[in-house]
Amino acid sequence: MSYHVTLAEIESYLRKAARASGLEWGLAEEAGKAARWLAAFDLPGPETMLAHLQNLAGKDYAAFIPRCDLEPWQAHGGWLCPIVTGAALADRSAAMLDGNELRLGKTAYPILLAATLGQAARFHRCAFTTHWPGLRLDCFGNGLSIEGDRDSLLLAEVDRVSCCKSDATAPQQLASTRAYNIDEDVFKGIEALAFETYAPATEESRAGAGAGLTDND
Amino acid sequence: MSETTDCAANNPMPEAANYRRPPEVVMRLARMGSFHQTRLSFMRALLRRLKQERWRFKRNLWAIDEQGFGRAVYTVYGPERTYSLVAFSHDLPDDMRSDRVIATAWDATFTLFDGIPDEADLDRLELNVPKQEAGRISDSELSLSRANRSVRLWQHVIDRLAAGLQPERDQLEAVGYLVRTTAVYGSGKFGAADRLAISDRPELSGPFQAELLSVWLTRAFSIDLIEHIARARGGEKAAVIEPDLRRRIGVGNSTGLGMAPFLVNHPALLNNWMMAREEAFARVRSLPRAEADAVDEFKRHFERARCNVSQWHSEHPIQIDKLASLNADLEKMAAYIERESLADDHPWDRFYCWAEDNLSLEGQEQLLSLMLEPYGALIDDLAQCMDADEHASFFIDGSMPVAGLLEIVETRCAWALAVDYEQPDNRARFWYTSAEKLEPRVGERFHEPGAEYELPLAIGYAVKRLYAALLAWKGGPTAAEFLLAHPEHRHTVRRVQNLVSHPYAEIQDNLIAADMLPIDILRCKLSFFGATKFDPRSDRWVRICMYQDAPFPHELLEAAT
Repeated sequence: MSYHVTLAEIESYLRKAARASGLEWGLAEEAGKAARWLAAFDLPGPETMLAHLQNLAGKDYAAFIPRCDLEPWQAHGGWLCPIVTGAALADRSAAMLDGNELRLGKTAYPILLAATLGQAARFHRCAFTTHWPGLRLDCFGNGLSIEGDRDSLLLAEVDRVSCCKSDATAPQQLASTRAYNIDEDVFKGIEALAFETYAPATEESRAGAGAGLTDND
Repeated sequence: MSETTDCAANNPMPEAANYRRPPEVVMRLARMGSFHQTRLSFMRALLRRLKQERWRFKRNLWAIDEQGFGRAVYTVYGPERTYSLVAFSHDLPDDMRSDRVIATAWDATFTLFDGIPDEADLDRLELNVPKQEAGRISDSELSLSRANRSVRLWQHVIDRLAAGLQPERDQLEAVGYLVRTTAVYGSGKFGAADRLAISDRPELSGPFQAELLSVWLTRAFSIDLIEHIARARGGEKAAVIEPDLRRRIGVGNSTGLGMAPFLVNHPALLNNWMMAREEAFARVRSLPRAEADAVDEFKRHFERARCNVSQWHSEHPIQIDKLASLNADLEKMAAYIERESLADDHPWDRFYCWAEDNLSLEGQEQLLSLMLEPYGALIDDLAQCMDADEHASFFIDGSMPVAGLLEIVETRCAWALAVDYEQPDNRARFWYTSAEKLEPRVGERFHEPGAEYELPLAIGYAVKRLYAALLAWKGGPTAAEFLLAHPEHRHTVRRVQNLVSHPYAEIQDNLIAADMLPIDILRCKLSFFGATKFDPRSDRWVRICMYQDAPFPHELLEAAT
């Protein structure tokens, strides 16, 4: 069954799901934004983010934090987390404005990484290109261009990724604001993970919230 | 950033900046919890636009039975688009009526439809809107809300009207509304259209315009419904409410903790609301003299405020004290107005400087609202500066030197650094989302389980920890390098950087202190909406009135054919 979920809901649920998966709030916010950004182009951001978060479960995500001083960037855990690495890329995006290329080693779900560059493109008012074997994605502030093999778009892992400022002038596709269609079971998975950030009720919390006086008058 | 820049670039009175109150004065909970509605409030901005643009109005459907149950559609027609309130009225047993968010049934439920709904839309909505959170709406809907009848007033008004009599004025004014909304959702909630989908429409780009349009139409529906029921009961002899008395009927609202984190979670938006309000006040204070008609208008509004405050009741000790102060302040203001000239020598600035020394915060903020009243031509343009492009303020500038971050914290966050968070009272609370209610709540850190679920709303404490980490940092020189090693500070660095372009973005108080009052946050937000008659029911739950004394659709707008 397909379920309509709004972009605001995607951002909110994936932010919480990322938090429940052990990411700090600031990174969880990036995860929510990335999932939303992709869904606005009708790309499976929420589904891919969920798959990646499940991948992180039980692991010490610090092992997948990039060593940005190495060429290419790599993590001692064997692969780079696209959320942490995407945030690090966005934080270093100014370095790409001068034509520098940033190279990454083995990376999980590179499409999630590309999404974080959409935020940077908006800030710098330019476009950034993310390349991996078989695919090139140009991320604009509010648009996207995809060239290459669509099957490569959703790869769970690639051996190398590179990022640089794009010379493209206009996106193929503009972001939509419409609700996104998602498989209901997948959404339930996201919801269940997000729910883990909610505190179970206690006697004190039940007593403390509402009106001290009657609320039916 | 762009939106404030544009407003700043177009500022017709840059000289007023010298009169602007700084964030450390304005962004305090005690002051924010004393705010009153102003002419920049969102309800008033909405009605001004509808009138100026000559919107039209029509009740397009009234399929309500003699008991008062069924569906109705109210449509407003603008220059480019139309919007319809779709209302469903239900048979609700008395014991199921509750304003708590945990309620599952209501007297009436509503959605604001983008356009005019057809029969199929109405059937789809009837399957979902009455369920509220448990239902699902679509991109074609802009809000989802519900309302309960006022038990104190509902039957009284029906009985009187059915007998051909008017409701008792005292009784009606003591309540101020026939129905009370308990939640008005918008912006992508429960399937509704995303905020970005409507943010480029001038009529909805301001904050909460869709939600407040739905509430304004809900008010009209509440009157139509009660008169319809009275007519069914009383037949020919039934009365309708006299126009003058009808104006006294607003829409009530109950608001609890769920709304409080909004202002913390939307720092760019909060900044723009505050900046607009402060800039408006600064423009008025900067005037070297006041024309006689402006002074007269101020005095008219002053007298109206005295009258409104005399009708403003609360049973809560905090608000009882505040109302006593406000009444005393109004008397002092009356004496000042009698004694001093309001004509020359920067009269408004002098008056406010006197108020700072002589009035409580309630009185000072009441005076601010009153001083804005005569100056629509000078300040109403600022209502266009109160939305925010929040996606634009999300980006972290990783190239900023760590020394730059330190400087921002030291120059703009003294309020956070001054608190000793080792004192248990200074971190006695924690904010969390309740799994049972799916709503934000406040817990007692040292007496309740659940602190591991804490939401990142304790900004002051977070800033102080960030500051310590920045001082201890021995790594690379940029924010990017610091954040790679310290992802736990990423959320806070985003907010701290935002303060450079958005100086009024943070509440400069400790949101986890033992003596923090959530109602202060609620009142600030609701005053921006345009609410009146704040009546706290506890330190975390407040009742208000909306649109009391405002014109009705058939009075403000021409009829659509």
